[in-house]
Amino acid sequence: MYDLVIIGSGPAGYVAAIRAGQTGLKTAIIEKDVIGGMCLNWGCIPSKAMMESVKLYQRIIKDASRFGVDGIDKKELSFNWNKAIKRSDGIIKKLTGGVEFLLKKNGVEIIKGNAKIVSANSVLADNRLLETKNIIIATGSSSTTIESKHDGLVVDPTQLFIERELPQNIVVIGKSPVAVELAQSFNMMGKSVTLVSDGDHIMPLADPYIRNFMLNKIKKERIKMFNNIEINTTDGIWEDGNLLVDGQSLPCDLIVNAKDRKGNILESDVQLETENGFLVTNERFETSVKGIFAVGDVNGKSMYAHVGSAQGLNVVNFLSGIEQELDMSKLPMNMYTVPEAAQIGMTEDHVKEAGYDYKVSEFPLSANGKAQTEGNAEGFIRILSETKYGEVLGVQIVAPNATDMINEASAYMQLESTVYDIAQTIHTHPTVSEVFMEAGFEAVDKAIHK
Amino acid sequence: MRYVFKFPDIGEGLEEGTIVEWHVEKGQTVKMGDSLVTMETDKVVTAIPSPRDGVIAAKFGKVGETIHVGAALVEIEIEGVSIEEDAKKEAVEEEGAGVVGTLEVAGNSMVLSASKEGVPSDDSSKTSKSGKALATPVARAIAKDLGIDINVITGTGPGNRVTKEDVINFGKEKPSKEVSSSPTPGNPSEKSVQIEPLSQIRKTIAKNMIQSKHNAAHMTVFEEVEISTLDQIRKKYKEIFAKEDVKLTYLAFIIKAVALSLKKYRALNAEMDWDGGNMIYKKYYNIGIAIDTEKGLVVPVIKNADKLSIKEIAVAIDNISAKARDGKLTMDDMKDGTFSITSYGSIGGLFAVPVINYPQAGILGVGRISKKPVVKGDDIVAGLVLPLSLSVDHRIADGGETARFMNSIMDYLADPVSLIMD
Repeated sequence: MYDLVIIGSGPAGYVAAIRAGQTGLKTAIIEKDVIGGMCLNWGCIPSKAMMESVKLYQRIIKDASRFGVDGIDKKELSFNWNKAIKRSDGIIKKLTGGVEFLLKKNGVEIIKGNAKIVSANSVLADNRLLETKNIIIATGSSSTTIESKHDGLVVDPTQLFIERELPQNIVVIGKSPVAVELAQSFNMMGKSVTLVSDGDHIMPLADPYIRNFMLNKIKKERIKMFNNIEINTTDGIWEDGNLLVDGQSLPCDLIVNAKDRKGNILESDVQLETENGFLVTNERFETSVKGIFAVGDVNGKSMYAHVGSAQGLNVVNFLSGIEQELDMSKLPMNMYTVPEAAQIGMTEDHVKEAGYDYKVSEFPLSANGKAQTEGNAEGFIRILSETKYGEVLGVQIVAPNATDMINEASAYMQLESTVYDIAQTIHTHPTVSEVFMEAGFEAVDKAIHK
Repeated sequence: MRYVFKFPDIGEGLEEGTIVEWHVEKGQTVKMGDSLVTMETDKVVTAIPSPRDGVIAAKFGKVGETIHVGAALVEIEIEGVSIEEDAKKEAVEEEGAGVVGTLEVAGNSMVLSASKEGVPSDDSSKTSKSGKALATPVARAIAKDLGIDINVITGTGPGNRVTKEDVINFGKEKPSKEVSSSPTPGNPSEKSVQIEPLSQIRKTIAKNMIQSKHNAAHMTVFEEVEISTLDQIRKKYKEIFAKEDVKLTYLAFIIKAVALSLKKYRALNAEMDWDGGNMIYKKYYNIGIAIDTEKGLVVPVIKNADKLSIKEIAVAIDNISAKARDGKLTMDDMKDGTFSITSYGSIGGLFAVPVINYPQAGILGVGRISKKPVVKGDDIVAGLVLPLSLSVDHRIADGGETARFMNSIMDYLADPVSLIMD
């Protein structure tokens, strides 16, 4: 009898498994493919590795000479996708190996196979029946399919980051930050890119301020954009390297499917309630069946790896008797656009809706010394605070390392800090993070360097 | 400079106390030994004396608030003392040679700059950063705004940090301690119960009772003893003692009888150390007497009762009863009892099954004395009968030992002269 069987070894499942092992629960994790799931193998990690390669390429083209590096013949420069993939594969191997090691080190049994839930207390892993006290489903999500008769025309992220001949004309379909990231990334490689959003706009969860910044950026980068276009099949709209979008014929050799995702609902003999393609869970991530939990993408609450991990930990803590509700309003959002964007807490719309008297304190990166020296001074920080006590309600950052910087904001919010605390936190100089302090000063009174 | 006086551990492993009454005001000059505040702990209600001469710069906590041992009670502004000198003095005090007698200063009474945290929030000066309650900045700001002392709020955040929500909920809970929810279904609006927080004394009584019933194997024997001789002696000496303002009660004789009997039957004065696998026979005879006070039952101790004369015992009972009534018992008055007596007879009741004052081996219940027909020789005569109920921990004392002990007490009481003969 296991204490816990976890299905899926992505960041939601494997983190929960390690923690469960640490707390002494007899734990098994079932994985049908490779350890690490979407994030490590096809998502976060390869896309970030690729982004770094592309950024370096762009940096050399744009900045080498200006920064004092001579001898680079721009005509000789080219981007080698396959070499970048090789580097990425090496990183993935290292990381997934690390995860596997940690699972074993913490006494978690790794079972390769397809999982099927037989009852609230038993799971079938291929032909082996596992009896267990609790089950965590962490099966992740998959792209909504785009049908195509033409082999290889449409790829989803799991099929993208492999060695291949990358064609010149690429259409990215989707509205999420991932879609924008991919479009920008291809564009920086020198490809002709079109971004086709199936919504009113891109990055629907981002504060409009961030979204508008990115829209301008995309426009400047000459990425073509369409809104409100729903593409479920290439039938009738693609022919001989051309895709018909909104009455226009676009050159298109590859369609990257970055559409919204659906939960991977596994086979189960017990009825688990679903809604819009995701498993329904309560505030402690328990499904409609007692003792069966669902964390990560599959419950549809968030598509972020770090949120999945947090949910997984929350469930294991609950099973170990530590009950602490996960405050979903304080989860940071990372957008790996160029420059990066990140936010936490309420957007300005939410603040208005909630009826707060609030203040927005903004500080531009262009007034920051370190950002200037790095030659990346595009961006800003915005702190939204309520006026009575100065509580920080939300933080938005656009900066080259915004996804790292946001964690400072998360700490402020976790500790229910006020703008006075931010202003009083001495920041090292010169750093880009000084913009926090400056925005804090701005919130309390006036920024020094503005 | 300012001296921060922290609530000391005035007992054995005391954790917290409740402020009953402040005896000083901010700005008042105090002398070493002056009462600062009366605290109710889980064992006693006692006044805390000032460890220094000086002027009260700040008081922490309001009446009714719970203060943890080690938390600041008052800040005393001391003139003309350098920090170094004070630190030296501090070290001496903590070695136990201090000015506060039996009080042990609960360590780390360091000299701080004037801290205002915990001071009632009508104090308009800025909140200091050196805190006691762990709280988030927003929680502090809201608490200050609402006039709530952040230190009295129970935090639900990590490490019991007081969060914004805690402060807001605290504000909500405050007005209604009377709960309308329904032992009387169908009439939910009626305030049919009154909910009051448990006092420290009540908590302690409950804890001790459960501990005793859980650990000791209770066995009770009942007896009656004819005490007309004792009654005559008491009447005679009562008048004599009264001239010296000493009240002579039956209890004084009973205490003496018990103390002398304990000397003969050592099991009743013993304690079982189960974990250590030992029986601890005590060679001192300290008799606890249960005293009914307004706040609840307390059991102060008359020390070395075997060595005291009846008169000395009578004086001790007088003193300790007065202290108990006035809530002035100290830890010293309460500790090291070896056997207890509960004398309910003055209120009512013949026999009872008293609960042992664990880890002691026994407790004697003294019932109401009444005139009864007794057989003397072959005649039925009017006798004065004292009912006794003796509970013992049967793990420690066997039936024979218990009966012999009871007989001894009865013999002493039936023939009081024997009390001075042994």
